[in-house]
Amino acid sequence: MSKDPFKTRLEIAKSKISKKNLYNKKDNPSALGTAFKLSTELVSAVAVGTIIGFIFDKTFGTKPWFILIFFFVGVVAGITNVIRSAKNMQK
Amino acid sequence: MASNPMTQFNVHRIGPEIKIGTFDISFTNASLFMIISSVAILIIFNLGSKKNSLIPNKIQLLAELSYTFVSKMISDTAGLKAKPYFAFIFSLFMFVLFCNMFGMIPYTFTVTSHIIVTFVLAAFIFIGVTIIGFMKHGFGYLKLFVPSGVPAVLLPLIVVIEIISYLSRPISLSVRLFANMMAGHTMMKVFGGFVISLGIVGGWLPLSFSVALTGLEILVAFLQAYVFAILTCIYLNDALNLHH
Repeated sequence: MSKDPFKTRLEIAKSKISKKNLYNKKDNPSALGTAFKLSTELVSAVAVGTIIGFIFDKTFGTKPWFILIFFFVGVVAGITNVIRSAKNMQK
Repeated sequence: MASNPMTQFNVHRIGPEIKIGTFDISFTNASLFMIISSVAILIIFNLGSKKNSLIPNKIQLLAELSYTFVSKMISDTAGLKAKPYFAFIFSLFMFVLFCNMFGMIPYTFTVTSHIIVTFVLAAFIFIGVTIIGFMKHGFGYLKLFVPSGVPAVLLPLIVVIEIISYLSRPISLSVRLFANMMAGHTMMKVFGGFVISLGIVGGWLPLSFSVALTGLEILVAFLQAYVFAILTCIYLNDALNLHH
């Protein structure tokens, strides 16, 4: 008899917690976190592409060409990154 | 008064100069604050896990809350397979968080506002995740760079794009943390300088701004540590559960 009220109270508390978690899922910190993610995602891919182009130009002595090509490939990679993480945000 | 807002990021030597070959490994203020934050983490979690009472005291509550927070974050983003890496992600999150938060105390030094610190952390994660991927899948891990359902004509271009986007991970990870911390601290210093130069008449507006900025910076300090840890989980998830 003494255990029963405790059990019911436990059940009520547990159901409250699960309800709260369901409610909190929408405004958890990961939404703002992924928003911060997007901006650097674009820039860093462009930077990596340009650096790779620069290294190729240095080694092969084809001054402007690889840096031009890889700059644009880097832009494409950056846009792909942004689209991919935006898709992850919608999940 | 330091009028230049960037002087707060200067690294200077504390104590004698130590050199190994051409490398300068002297003890600096950056290393001091790294040690301070590591020691603070150790103290808090030792005190928090010393006696496991059913009704926790404040420090135990702090330790348990951060434990469940990180463990939930890992199981949400990377699944059960990532459980063995809990210790690494937890210490990473705590280290970045404490470095960021210690930087919020006036007259301290923000370790994470230097790109070399954040880049070393990100490079460790990048190399580690790549090794884990190759260990779990062998050369099948290279399938990450070849998305399914792509026409053969476009394949060379797509592979190059995928490799660039893979290589951009450590850079975006490190630049994000570094840029957020540096920009925030510079902005706070600039507004603090406005308070002094405008004096008692016009200084109230920038003062209220810097109060609001302090709140924002504490949010950013937490959030950047969170983003750093959650991106590690996402990269780990890519390496553990290969799907494309």
